[in-house]
Amino acid sequence: MQFEMIIQAFQDILLNEENLAAIYAYIAAMVLLVVLVMISRWQRLGIVDKLLIGTVRGTIQIILMALILIQIFALENVFILYIVLLFMCSFAAYTVKSNLKNIPGVFVPSFVGIIIGGLSVITLCLLLGIIPPSGDYKLGEFMIPMGGMVIGNAMNISTLVIERMWSNAQKQRSLMETALALGATPYQATEMTIKESMRTGLLPNLNRYASLGIVTIPGLMSGMIIGGANPLFAAFYQVIVFIMIFLAQVVDAELVSRLFLKEMFNLRYQIIVPPPVS
Amino acid sequence: MISETEPILELENVSMEFDGRYLFRGLKLQLRPNEVIGLTGPSGSGKSTILRIAIDLITPTSGTIKCNGKDIMNCDPREVRKKLILVPQQTSMFPGTVRENLLWGLKINGLESSDTELEQILREVKIEPSFLDKIAENLSGGEKQRIGIARALLLSPDALLLDEPTSALDERSTMAVETTINEVVERRNIGVLIVTHDKEQARRFTSRIIDLEGYQ
Repeated sequence: MQFEMIIQAFQDILLNEENLAAIYAYIAAMVLLVVLVMISRWQRLGIVDKLLIGTVRGTIQIILMALILIQIFALENVFILYIVLLFMCSFAAYTVKSNLKNIPGVFVPSFVGIIIGGLSVITLCLLLGIIPPSGDYKLGEFMIPMGGMVIGNAMNISTLVIERMWSNAQKQRSLMETALALGATPYQATEMTIKESMRTGLLPNLNRYASLGIVTIPGLMSGMIIGGANPLFAAFYQVIVFIMIFLAQVVDAELVSRLFLKEMFNLRYQIIVPPPVS
Repeated sequence: MISETEPILELENVSMEFDGRYLFRGLKLQLRPNEVIGLTGPSGSGKSTILRIAIDLITPTSGTIKCNGKDIMNCDPREVRKKLILVPQQTSMFPGTVRENLLWGLKINGLESSDTELEQILREVKIEPSFLDKIAENLSGGEKQRIGIARALLLSPDALLLDEPTSALDERSTMAVETTINEVVERRNIGVLIVTHDKEQARRFTSRIIDLEGYQ
């Protein structure tokens, strides 16, 4: 009986004219993916596996998400919504760990950084009454997509900060040793790297922020307008999302960098990062 | 001539094993104020490692290291590194000007210095005070080496540990660095442990030579 229901659900999806058009577009877009893979192979960018696995995994994840999104968006229970966000944070930290396979101890700092960076911003917005806006809006409609954007960006800056800290400890070991030899703490010895990676991590969003509405038409705003929201309302919320992202990224980077130091230095302030494999 | 005062740095039976092979075994060394010790030995014998061990950047396989009579394992590593300052072989400069580089060590230790003091320290290492505003990374090897020494001296250390300070320099720059080191030792009554592959240089300006060949 249940099996028949699942078949029926799939038939409903496939027989929908709009969905069939999307499936066609998806298949056609594989041409773009092939071009991308060819360029990556030619330039030996080392990202082909990530692109292919990411496409399959991402497609499955987003389809499943799309099927349950309506239910999640309709949620009003803050507790359940926080559990959904917590799951998203865990998956984000797992993604950071998977992308930095050669670096030890990545999961815990990124998990803590993403949770505190991401969820503190969401909580602050709830307390300030920013989400949900007054009117006939469901809490889930705002908390989940905005949380997703904040967590996703916190995930990106976690990856960047950890990767830069680790690779600089390998490539600029002499400078780091010079700093330690002058009595620097591990944080002082890596501070320049941390600040630089924070600036680099914030830069793409700062560019989008500066060109907002002229060059960049962000997803949230477009989605809200397509969904029938007032354009002015959508515009205000788009700026709010950017501010939330910046705050979450800065909090995340500060936390991740401090927590990750214990993977790079021991208690005697000695560098424990192995030299690069030549 | 070895002074009778208490050693600033003392290595007692220090051994270092790396990849199943001993770099050196049972090394003994005492560095006193106003003394320049030369550390020589073949390439790969662990000369630079000894300097890193002395300031607790590396822990030896066995042995004891004392700084002013105290076992460094019982001290805050930052305190040890403020008393014994290592100037690495290719002195790294932080991004920015010579002034910013000189102030870096002071800043992280909660200290300050005036431009007059910075100019004075530059004169001490035979660098023109006008260098303060130059970009440190653009300086020559010999100039960087002397800025590295000045940066260390600003923290008033008890000893300087110099890793091949003249290895990449021409004869003229080498002589300038050697003169600077000798004058600094005399003026400040500090100890210097200098790693050099050049035995002739070690004979020329150190008061004692320790050859690592005898510890392998």
